[in-house]
Amino acid sequence: MARSPSKVVDGQTRPAPPSRFQSKALALLVVALIVWSVVTIDVDLERLIDLPARLGDSIRRMFLPPDWGYTGRAVEGMIESIQIAWIGTLIGAALSLPLGFLGAKNVSAGPVSSIIRQILNGIRAIPELVLAVVIFIPILGLGPFAGTMAIGIHSIGTLGKLTAEVVEGVDPGPVEAARASGASQVQTLRWGVLPQVLPDIVAFWLYRFEINIRAAAILGIVGAGGVGAILQNTLTFRRWELAGTTVIVIIIATIAIDYVSAAVRRRIIEGGAHRQRADVIEQPELAVT
Amino acid sequence: MIEFDKASVTYPGGVQALVDLDLIIEAGQLVVIVGLSGAGKSTLIRAINGLVPLSGGTVRVDGRDVGRASGRELRAIRSRVGMIFQTFNLVKRTSVLNNVLMGRLHATPTWRSMIGWYRRRDIELAMQALERVGIVEKAYVRAANLSGGQQQRVGIARALAQDPKIILADEPVASLDPPTSHVVMRDLQRINHELGMTTVVNLHFLDLAKVYGERIIGMRGGRLVYDGTAHDANEQVFRDIYGRSLTADDVLDSPAA
Amino acid sequence: MTATPLQADAGRPIRPPRSRLLPLGLVVSAAITWWAASDDFGVGFSLGEIIDNLTRGHRVLREVLSPNWAFFPQTVDPLLETFKMAIIASVIGCGVALPLSFLASKVTTPNSVTYLVDRGVLNVIRALPDLLYALVLVTAIGIGPLAGIIALILFNLAVTAKLLSETIDGVDTGPSEAAWAGGASRTQMIRSSVFPQILPNYIAYVLYVFELNVRASAVIGLVGAGGIGFVLQVQMGFFAYENVAVIVAELFVAVFLIELVSIRLRRRLV
Repeated sequence: MARSPSKVVDGQTRPAPPSRFQSKALALLVVALIVWSVVTIDVDLERLIDLPARLGDSIRRMFLPPDWGYTGRAVEGMIESIQIAWIGTLIGAALSLPLGFLGAKNVSAGPVSSIIRQILNGIRAIPELVLAVVIFIPILGLGPFAGTMAIGIHSIGTLGKLTAEVVEGVDPGPVEAARASGASQVQTLRWGVLPQVLPDIVAFWLYRFEINIRAAAILGIVGAGGVGAILQNTLTFRRWELAGTTVIVIIIATIAIDYVSAAVRRRIIEGGAHRQRADVIEQPELAVT
Repeated sequence: MIEFDKASVTYPGGVQALVDLDLIIEAGQLVVIVGLSGAGKSTLIRAINGLVPLSGGTVRVDGRDVGRASGRELRAIRSRVGMIFQTFNLVKRTSVLNNVLMGRLHATPTWRSMIGWYRRRDIELAMQALERVGIVEKAYVRAANLSGGQQQRVGIARALAQDPKIILADEPVASLDPPTSHVVMRDLQRINHELGMTTVVNLHFLDLAKVYGERIIGMRGGRLVYDGTAHDANEQVFRDIYGRSLTADDVLDSPAA
Repeated sequence: MTATPLQADAGRPIRPPRSRLLPLGLVVSAAITWWAASDDFGVGFSLGEIIDNLTRGHRVLREVLSPNWAFFPQTVDPLLETFKMAIIASVIGCGVALPLSFLASKVTTPNSVTYLVDRGVLNVIRALPDLLYALVLVTAIGIGPLAGIIALILFNLAVTAKLLSETIDGVDTGPSEAAWAGGASRTQMIRSSVFPQILPNYIAYVLYVFELNVRASAVIGLVGAGGIGFVLQVQMGFFAYENVAVIVAELFVAVFLIELVSIRLRRRLV
């Protein structure tokens, strides 16, 4: 490069590097926040050092070996959690569909959709646990029904928001076409919007189901049914081997459901088509035409 | 100097992309390769820097066997071979300068490249490369905001920043309009003449091949079927390479203008 | 109109056989629903029960809807603790998730074994919800924010790594080819051509995870893992729902603010 500088095209001036003040200031702020958090948090140094040893000990007692005889009990609890999650997701899906549509700016008038979005945000912000303990257990007593309702109502919030966002992102073409041919508002929604958004929405439902399985497992801790209560019992009595079995059951069941749900979701969204991009980088000949 | 010695490439699936290729390209030559899609042009070029491994035979770059090279040796070989792509292959989200600096990666220690702190000397080289292709004012512009022709020039600058001995160009103008194509081809020609870099270019358009190529290589079905000057390459020759009559798609500039 | 036999008119195509999957799926779903909702095997779903007992919830609701703002000062420190826990857990979790996600994507890891192992480990970690980690950790190492932070880190790690690896799977591989061609090493290739492409998504995920953490750390306090959740649990134990309302309101505001900031930040970066 240094061989012939005189041949460089004349008349060009090198631009100055852009000032990155705002980015740098932001980065500094973030770092300061992190440092403050680490320094002021109330954690004993001793505990921190003890940590690996104590943790290792507990893990060993849980899994080497776990008490396989407990599997029946654990599976019962897991099934109940799955049921809770299933019905809960169903409730959430059914109620979030109309709300999601109403919350979309391109379906209902401005103020209406904003209000509904805020309501959905409000519901979202309340953890299922709180819903269960504060509302549904007082109403329905302890047990899986309360858990189901808590999950159901909470899901409306997230599913409603996602549904509204998807509906807002719809391609206006088919909607215009439907309207132009004289369809009513409901018909336009049914035939112009719904076909476009349904795959995404159903995918959200399935994803929410996966998450709700975990939520249902947790609700057991406050008495709303499911495997959470079982796990908590074993830990309260320090029966590590039983806890180990329960954890293994939860992990296997959750992974299995995740896998099936993901497969169904993929089918819905891509209609069976395969993705091949990732292979190109290791087989460059695929880039050759 | 690039030497192919009975080089063959067979893809999994049985497609023979390169068959018994014997070819020597002397240092400093400007070579244009023509042929139909699938005739082996892309494979030939990518065999030179080892992006496509040979199934048989050898290819040597400046005496070093590409197929036998270890990881580090291969990177060393590649650092002396700059490549330009049909789809430019720029990182669209980042600045032109950062894209060109990718050409200096082989000379940058890993820790520096992780945090993006290049040496001043490397930044200088990158700037000079941009000056050479005439778009240094765009150094801090995001690559996505440039036109196709400008992006390709950034691609050329990236290759130049490596300070290479050889430049490979895989259909560099296929995505560009005619006037821009000529600009880019002229840039490549200029680089070859002024800096003496061996330049190997795949071209789809025959008129460009004749105008800019000193030596033309015709590939057909993975075999070398023509090796001669642009002067001697007439329509009959092209018809032999393509195996059919020439159509309007094979030339860049429309005949009657 | 008489049914036309399969031999339709010359131009008309024959209707392709309907996919069996959709109706099958619906039937299966309905069956599961019926089973899951029943009294004997399932959760015992009954609209009637809800309506009958609505009045019981009424008293609670009344208390909840009249928050006791005087309670606010007592919530400040726990709220800050929740915040700090969320920050630390987000940083460590997302930081570790970055290299793990590269290992979990075929684009950046050619070695099948590494890829499978990594993916497997991440799936297992993801299977347990954060609260259960917190439960185990609290029992193992005692109550307090330390257990909570670790629980959150595990949760973060799995979620972020999975999201990231899916993003990585979808990147444009062209610039990577250019990096190889220029003699870069694998790490340099990833840093220069893959990382810039996933950066906006990465930041979005970090912010998303941070928001999840704020909500989660409120909850894991329930089992004693620190933060505002602990206060929540105590108040719920006292049935002091007017105080619970204050806490929930604060959480709502916190989440709302974080979302605001996160949307702003994301817009600037893209």
